[in-house]
Amino acid sequence: MEKVIEIKNLTKKYNNKKAIDDISFDVYKGEILGLLGPNGSGKSTTINCLLSLLKYQSGDIKIFGKEMKPDSYDIKKEIGVIFQDVAVFNELNVYDNINYFCGLYISNKEQRKKYVDDALKLVGLKDFTKYYPKELSGGLLRRLNIACGIAHKPKLIFLDEPTVAVDPQSRNNILDGIKKLRDNGATIIYTTHYMEEVEILCDRIIILDKGKIIAEGTSEELKKQANIKVKVEHVGPTLNDVFLKLTGKELRD
Amino acid sequence: MFLHNLKYNIKILFKNKVLIFWTYAFPIILGVFFNMAFSNIEKDEMLQVFDIAIVDNEEYQNQEIYKKTFEELSNDHSDEKLFNIKYTTKEDAANLLEAGEIEGYIFFENNQENIIIKENGINQTILKYISSEIEQNTKIIKDLTEKELTIGNSNDINDIIKQITNKINNEKVNLINISNSNLSYTQIEYYTLIAMACMYGGMLGLSAINNSLANMSNKGKRISVSPNKKGTIILSSLLASYFVSLVGLAILMLFLVFVIKADFGSNFPLVILLSMLGSLAGISLGVMIASTFKVSEGAKTGIIIAISMFLSVLSGMTGVELKYVIDKNIPVINLINPNNLITDGFYSLYYYGTYTRYLRDLSFLSIFIFICLIISIVSLRRQQYDSI
Repeated sequence: MEKVIEIKNLTKKYNNKKAIDDISFDVYKGEILGLLGPNGSGKSTTINCLLSLLKYQSGDIKIFGKEMKPDSYDIKKEIGVIFQDVAVFNELNVYDNINYFCGLYISNKEQRKKYVDDALKLVGLKDFTKYYPKELSGGLLRRLNIACGIAHKPKLIFLDEPTVAVDPQSRNNILDGIKKLRDNGATIIYTTHYMEEVEILCDRIIILDKGKIIAEGTSEELKKQANIKVKVEHVGPTLNDVFLKLTGKELRD
Repeated sequence: MFLHNLKYNIKILFKNKVLIFWTYAFPIILGVFFNMAFSNIEKDEMLQVFDIAIVDNEEYQNQEIYKKTFEELSNDHSDEKLFNIKYTTKEDAANLLEAGEIEGYIFFENNQENIIIKENGINQTILKYISSEIEQNTKIIKDLTEKELTIGNSNDINDIIKQITNKINNEKVNLINISNSNLSYTQIEYYTLIAMACMYGGMLGLSAINNSLANMSNKGKRISVSPNKKGTIILSSLLASYFVSLVGLAILMLFLVFVIKADFGSNFPLVILLSMLGSLAGISLGVMIASTFKVSEGAKTGIIIAISMFLSVLSGMTGVELKYVIDKNIPVINLINPNNLITDGFYSLYYYGTYTRYLRDLSFLSIFIFICLIISIVSLRRQQYDSI
């Protein structure tokens, strides 16, 4: 399988304290890799190092087979990032926000218009193009945040806890959108604290703790590795399923 | 991408209500208050008529031009009235001065004009100024028309007197300026206002930088991972903030010129040059603060407001006396204070005939901008961060 990301012996320290401790892993084309771990485990730091935003003490990072550096613009134009915190301009409406960020990658106006329309459709914001971020609910805002990161149709997408503080309907919509992105050929690195999302979405999972990789594999492989004796087998629907059945899957404002 | 970022940054800045209030509305509001507070003071100063005495001896009776001019300037039915004149003896004039009933008196002795005053003040300065104007004009006109001019030819004398009184009336603003230690109170207030608006433009520069850098905002993080050179992003963002700052400054100046009726002198291209440089100084200050202070955007905005207000006070916003005191005692402070350099630049264009002082102000302002930008470039040069 074609490697999209290759990380070898990456170490990052903050004031002599290791935030990432000699980690190595690969990400393959078309997969959704779940990057899991408790708070402070090094997930966001890893992503920031991959994006060349943070300096690191040692290690090699290759993306699309090339060394990733701050001025690797040919690599950067194929990357989309959705950060944990919403990063949009309150002064711009939904359409302009997406158009602005897309314009940092796509200079052709006609192509950009089509891409922005596609992004609006993907995240279900077609009816909100004239709205300003302050007029949007938490869920809609998260969807706008995602649209701004993926409108330019990147081949590699980093999603850092994109479903924090959204209602199940919006989350459902976001997860569907992520699946569509993968189906369209994108490779995705996904970090979250919601394990059910990982089970639904991720082809492979890496668990980080204290800056080290402590487990790696598919959901099933990890379950086997953990060798936990299940006392009560849960065969019925999850509470999330119940909630969605009762309130419907229709998106809310 | 440069134009795309420029266009959107202009849009973002224009729609930022807080920034627009501080950089556009606040200086205009302050201008209205200044106008309300100071225009009456200046009007009162302009219209004040004061008491003087003239020693009515034989020599004075021979000073036809002086006589007629002072008659005109003390005519109750004239708009040009400046004096209430008592014609008296030298002894009585001295007594009146001693008693504080007159501001000064004039007497002629050996064909020489003498002005006696007890203390220095606005009225005394005006009296001295007018006397010297009459003396100079009389000399010039006498030289030019020596052959034709005959004392008693009322047409010639009336022309001369008309010229002198017209000149005095046209110079009333300057008379007040002279009496205020060469500083026009109201004009300086308006110039400090423009200087303050220039420095407030720093908030626009700060916002542009804050939105562009990964270590300063989430939006900056998103922009930093895009395939664009940091320099292109920063330059286009700063150009946007400079444009927005200039528009605000243009609105303020139009308001001052057409509504408040502030006077910027006659050399408008130099006024525009100074405004543009002043605005650039504000943006440079904002960029320097944005790139060197490791605090929140709100705190940085607070720092810019505090610095701008402090520099405005030093440059005479709350009273020109402070500017004058600094000019006299610690002039170096005024040379490194961008607000003062802008204020002083406008004042020198308005008041002085030469451009030496204006060029000095422009040079020091350029040095200020250069230093701010060098510090900013050093801080902004890095591509990656230790932490974000």
